Parts: sequence; C-alpha cells; structure tokens
Amino acid sequence: MIVGTRKPLAEIQDMLKGFDRILLSGCDTCVAECVAGGRKEVAELAAALRMAFQMAGREVDIRENSVDRQCIHEFLLDVVEQAESAQAVLSLACGAGVQALAAHLPEIPVFPALNTLFIGETAERGLWLENCRGCGDCLLGLTGGICPVTRCAKSLLNGPCGGPKNGLCEINLAREFNPEVPCAWLQIYERLMALGQLDRLMQVARPKDWSQGDAGGPRRVLRPDQRP
Amino acid sequence: MLQIAFKNGGNDYLMPEVRTMSRKLQIVVLACQQALPEPGRLAATLGNSDFKGRVVAEPCSSKVEVFQMLRILSTEADLLWIIGCPEELCRFTEGSFRMGRRVDYARNYLAEIGLETQRLGMSRIPPGDEQALTEAAAEMQRLARSLGPNPARSGSPGGEGVSKP
Ligand code: SF4
Ligand code: SF4
Repeated sequence: MIVGTRKPLAEIQDMLKGFDRILLSGCDTCVAECVAGGRKEVAELAAALRMAFQMAGREVDIRENSVDRQCIHEFLLDVVEQAESAQAVLSLACGAGVQALAAHLPEIPVFPALNTLFIGETAERGLWLENCRGCGDCLLGLTGGICPVTRCAKSLLNGPCGGPKNGLCEINLAREFNPEVPCAWLQIYERLMALGQLDRLMQVARPKDWSQGDAGGPRRVLRPDQRP
Repeated sequence: MLQIAFKNGGNDYLMPEVRTMSRKLQIVVLACQQALPEPGRLAATLGNSDFKGRVVAEPCSSKVEVFQMLRILSTEADLLWIIGCPEELCRFTEGSFRMGRRVDYARNYLAEIGLETQRLGMSRIPPGDEQALTEAAAEMQRLARSLGPNPARSGSPGGEGVSKP
C-alpha cells in the first residue's frame, strides 16, 4: 500500500488562503490503513481547519467527503459532483489520488493534504515500513522475499556491507530510529538459511538496470487486451 | 440549590442551566460507563456551578475518537474532558491506555491550531471513587474558568456574548 503522513496544519492553511468554500476529500484504502487520509482523518482535519479558520477570523465553509479509491476514476464521480460547489479541494489521498481527482476538476484547484512517502506494509500497530521502491525488476525471488533495494540503507545488491552490528544496520549510528533498523542482508541470510537456500548467496548479483525504475522517466503499463 | 441532571435520550446527561442571559461556559464530558456508572451525578455536580454542558456515557473511553474530540471543541465545548478507568482496571485491557494516546494526539492538533491544549483534559478514575470524581469536577471547573471562552468554537470569535464565571 501507499503510505503517507499529513502535512503540517500551517502549510495546509497557507495553501487554502483565499478560498472560502473547501471540500476535503479522503481515500478509504491505503491512506486510511496508515491513518493519514481515510474518512476519520478527513473529519479530524476538517474540525481542526474549522477551528484554525475560526481563530483567524475567517468564515470558511468546509465540506467532507471520502471515496473508496481516489486513484480510480470510476470512484470519483461523487467527489466531482460535490466539488462543483467548492472553490478548492483538499485531497487526503496519495499523490496519485490527488492527480486523478485534479484531472477531473480542470477548473478547481486540488491541493495535497499529505506527503506521500512510500510503498510499504503495516508492520505493527502504528508502524509502517517502506519495503518496495518499485524498481521495475524485482529481485525478491533471489533474496528470500526481503528487498535489499529498499530495506538495505545502501541498496546493496550483494551484501552485507562491513557495517552491521548485533543484527542492526549501521544507519542506526547516523540517526535515531525507534525501533532500530535491522540489517536487511542479515535478514536475507537468516531467511535463506531457514529456507535451506543459502546457496543463492553464492550468485553474485549483476549490475541492475535502474532504467526500469524511476531513473528511466515516467513509467507506464499498457495492456492492449484491456484497452478500449 | 438542589439540581437534578436529566437524561436527554441516548447517553447524554445535561447539566441544568443557571443563567440564560448570555452564553455560559460549556463543559462536555465523555465518560467511560465503567469509570462513571452514574453520569447524571457528575452532570448535577457541574450543574451546581455556573457552567453549562453535558456528560456523555461511553462504552469505554477508548471509543472516543480524535475527530470527535476535535469536532466537539470546534462546535460546542469550551472545555472537553474524557474520563476513563485506571489503565489496570480497563475492561477493554488497553482501552484507557489508548484513550491517553488519543488525547495526546488530539492535543498536538490543538497546539498546531494555536489553541490551549488544556482545553482537552482527561482523568482516570476508579469506578465508584467519589473523591476522585469530585476532584476531577473541581479541576474541570477551575480550568474552564481560567481558560474562558474557546476562541476556536464556531460562532464565537473573540468570545462575544460569553460570560466568564
Ligand atoms: S526488488 Fe524492486 S520491485 Fe522488488 S521489492 Fe525491491 S524495490 Fe520492489
Ligand atoms: S548494515 Fe546491512 S542493511 Fe545496513 S547498509 Fe550494511 S548491508 Fe545494508
């Protein structure tokens, strides 16, 4: 799923300067799971903005709305209808959702309430971890299902480096992490050992074609069988 | 003067109003029904002062969501108080602990808004502990008095028309 966090309220208020009718639109999938942009978070932000505008002496009409998936055009019909009476839309979806909504609202500005961070998993309650960078050439089959591109601080394809200590990545020395970051390559080693596949580590990974990832310009997937 | 709180349908216990000329400071209490088996009595205690407000019985303090806290502060309350059980007595095991975390989270929002974080308070009260309840009620009244009208509450810029006891 896509993980994001809310922008500071002051930044959001600044984006909304000059608009008196605002629609807040959430997305009830990824960003609801990471407690950043689902309907509850829309309600929180709406109440917070009402208070902030009240204190600033501004009369602002704030409406709330949420859809199952803001990145899927079919789900946007409701929002588009409601947005027609708004001067601006504040989207609590990920960057893809914000852009999909904006594409439907050529005359109404759409602002992001979140900073979209990464593709990740809910590791524990209240803890989301980045575990895929969408590199376009997945190595998980070779690494026991643990991504070295994302979870190794140096994105080493042949690891570990010389830095791990007590199972932890040396990035913990650079700044404080809570909980601490494990060495991905030691995790890969343990996982492959458990699977009886340690011999995989004898294969030296070849240089990766990063052009399949975000280094290769905007990516797209085209499926002729699905096209209109 | 003896005042009896009355139940307004649902789980709301309204405090009797003392003054009607101008808006009185409003205290809203959301209380776990285990910690506060008789919400009407707290409503009556608060109603004996110069405040208006309501006490809402909750199945557990952890059922109170952050958006509800913020909504109540944005529309109604000058002071909002959540009452739960002591953590070790919580029937939902970690409900009271969760409530504390949520109150902290909501207070961070208040700080961002620029509103006094004390407008949102909480107590953990053992079921049936009258002394603790009386002290919490006194604390609510003291805070509501010292903070005065909530400038972020809708329709009250500058708190015009609000009387401060
Ligand atoms: S190898 Fe690439 S595609 Fe596979 S999980 Fe890692 S970043 Fe994602
Ligand atoms: S300690 Fe492990 S995870 Fe960290 S940079 Fe080195 S190999 Fe990568």
